[in-house]
Amino acid sequence: MAAHLCYGRVNLNILREAARKDLREFLDKCAGSKAIVWDEYLTGPFGLIAQYSLLKEHEVEKMFTLKAGRLPPADVKNIIFFVRPRLELMDIIAENVMSEDKMQSPREFNILFVPRRSMLCEQRLKEQGVLGSFTNIDEYILDLIPYDGDLLSMECESAFRECYLENDQTSLYHTAKGLMTIQALYGTIPQIFGKGECARHVANMMLRMKREFAGSQTQILPVFDTLLLLDRNVDLLTPLATQLTYEGLIDEIYGITNGYVKLPPEKFAQKKQGEGGKDLPTEPKKLQLNSAEELYAEIRDKNFNAVGAALSKKAKIISAAFEERHNAKTVGEIKQFVSQLPHMQAARSSLANHTSIAELIKDITTSETFFDNLTVEQEFMTGVDTDKVNTYIEDCIAQKDPLIKILRLVCMQSVCNNGLKQKVLDYYKREILQTYGYEYILTLNNLEKTGLLKPQTTTRNNYPTIRKTLKLWMEDANEQNPNDISYVYSGYAPLSVRLTQVLARPGWRSIEEVLKMLPGPHFEERQPLPTGLHKKRQQGENRTTLVFFLGGVTYAEIAALRFLSQMEEGGTEYIIATTKLINGTSWIKSLMDKPEVNI
Amino acid sequence: NQPVALSLYRQRLEARLSLLQSAVDEYNKAKNEFAAKATDEEMRLLRFQRRLEEEKGEQLLGLSLQDTLRVLLSVGLNKPAEQLYKDFRVPDKRYWWLKITALADKEDWDELEKF
Repeated sequence: MAAHLCYGRVNLNILREAARKDLREFLDKCAGSKAIVWDEYLTGPFGLIAQYSLLKEHEVEKMFTLKAGRLPPADVKNIIFFVRPRLELMDIIAENVMSEDKMQSPREFNILFVPRRSMLCEQRLKEQGVLGSFTNIDEYILDLIPYDGDLLSMECESAFRECYLENDQTSLYHTAKGLMTIQALYGTIPQIFGKGECARHVANMMLRMKREFAGSQTQILPVFDTLLLLDRNVDLLTPLATQLTYEGLIDEIYGITNGYVKLPPEKFAQKKQGEGGKDLPTEPKKLQLNSAEELYAEIRDKNFNAVGAALSKKAKIISAAFEERHNAKTVGEIKQFVSQLPHMQAARSSLANHTSIAELIKDITTSETFFDNLTVEQEFMTGVDTDKVNTYIEDCIAQKDPLIKILRLVCMQSVCNNGLKQKVLDYYKREILQTYGYEYILTLNNLEKTGLLKPQTTTRNNYPTIRKTLKLWMEDANEQNPNDISYVYSGYAPLSVRLTQVLARPGWRSIEEVLKMLPGPHFEERQPLPTGLHKKRQQGENRTTLVFFLGGVTYAEIAALRFLSQMEEGGTEYIIATTKLINGTSWIKSLMDKPEVNI
Repeated sequence: NQPVALSLYRQRLEARLSLLQSAVDEYNKAKNEFAAKATDEEMRLLRFQRRLEEEKGEQLLGLSLQDTLRVLLSVGLNKPAEQLYKDFRVPDKRYWWLKITALADKEDWDELEKF
């Protein structure tokens, strides 16, 4: 089931197994039949760790969603609440427990806090007078969740907002803890590099935790050679741009959550004979997307313009394989053909699915709006007229296009111009407030606080220097057979990934100047290894680097790093970790306030 | 019950206006000119919306300026719309766009012709 986790350079299934083991241990602590009451937010991430079958083996008979009022009836001995440590959730639990006590059959209550228990929450339960009703209160440390063979995410939605807007560093603590877990399982990471304030904090915490556990050195040969910590605010530009890889576009258009995407069902209607297409499915089609699917693994990171060709090539291969049956003459040959059938049928249905998805996306990418929007983005990234009011943005506001689209463009212009002239900035802000409503003044404030939007303070715009030094714009990006990471945005090479690339070769010393222009300190730390654990590198063996994006990473950036891993002369393979998988829309949304409008 | 509801509603609006006024003061203290001005405009808009609601009976309160204009134009209240457009210095381009789409939605081709 989780086979796709072990194929990579680093076997991430070890991490998943460790997480499963902890879960089993907790479940066994509550003897007898159980019902789990879920904090809805957690179901997605947990699905990546354990299926229902695992829970069932441990006598979980019912599952409910946490909501106010009385718990649904269930004939079980234990009720277990799986919750994030949030005060508002404690109130709901208290309500559940209180309305329960009046019924006859006594049930035992348990709480499992994910990822950590909190004094405040327990205090709240005490105030509500229910703390004593719980048999077990425990924590389930789930920091980094294995997402794919080379991808870990904390699925912590508000991390960027908390770190850069609210100055709340809780998520950084979880990050450091998560990295300690990684080191316990995969050995100490000898080299740590970082860029940005938050990166510095995480590294400091890690080093301190290391000192605290000085006695318990792990005797594991290090799997990772290097850890690179990157603050999202070092590269604000990349997530604002529209991703142009296949997976990136699926995420931009439909949104991928916990490895699943929901698609409009019309295209996936099964054509069955005799039904006459009467009942079209109305439920959105839910598909799981990960490298376990052979075809998806092949096309997910391609530029969308190269996906069509890949799909038709695959179609030819599959139909050729089916034609093989005519050549099968002996019984042995037929038997062999039949044994391959299930695999071929799976490949065929996977092909059908992705052809449908590609068609859906193509309808959008070939539209005029998409093209105009992309043209403006590319103008900004190449530095065309970033210092004056953009007429396309003006028109979009006049037509009241979705606000997030406007904000993405305005922020992008601001980032590419190292801030907007006060006059231009005020003009945009006024237009937005007059069109979308005064309440968005809070959103605009948030964007300014995080630096996404800012007034120009110096007349010098250093973005062109950064662009040139790091080669962020490549004129001749090859979408079909890429030779550079810039293919993921059809010309723009993500800054964050360029930093990663330069670090591997020739090293950051060559770009000191540019590093100084980007926010936050850059640093290097070494963690001494116990003697005997130094890796003896084979000739030609690749290095392994764990890149941690603090504040989120996009699918296009992941695609670019995978591309670097596969480059023959690259010499480094990358594993990616992040607080959250994001795209421009979800990211901006996390920075918007929803004030309660009561007139 | 209507007068009660109306007065409650007025009270709420007054409360809102006074909160906005204190926001203006704070913004001024913080020397955030833009925010102070924007908040001031919001107060003017709310007052304008209330007056029109009372006079013409259109539901406007709480809409953005753009949406207010759209409602006014779509029900043919062109005069107050013109006034808002001038008072709030709405850029011509945006106003023309709005007017054209509003008139087209209404299929008021005569007015569109004149315009």
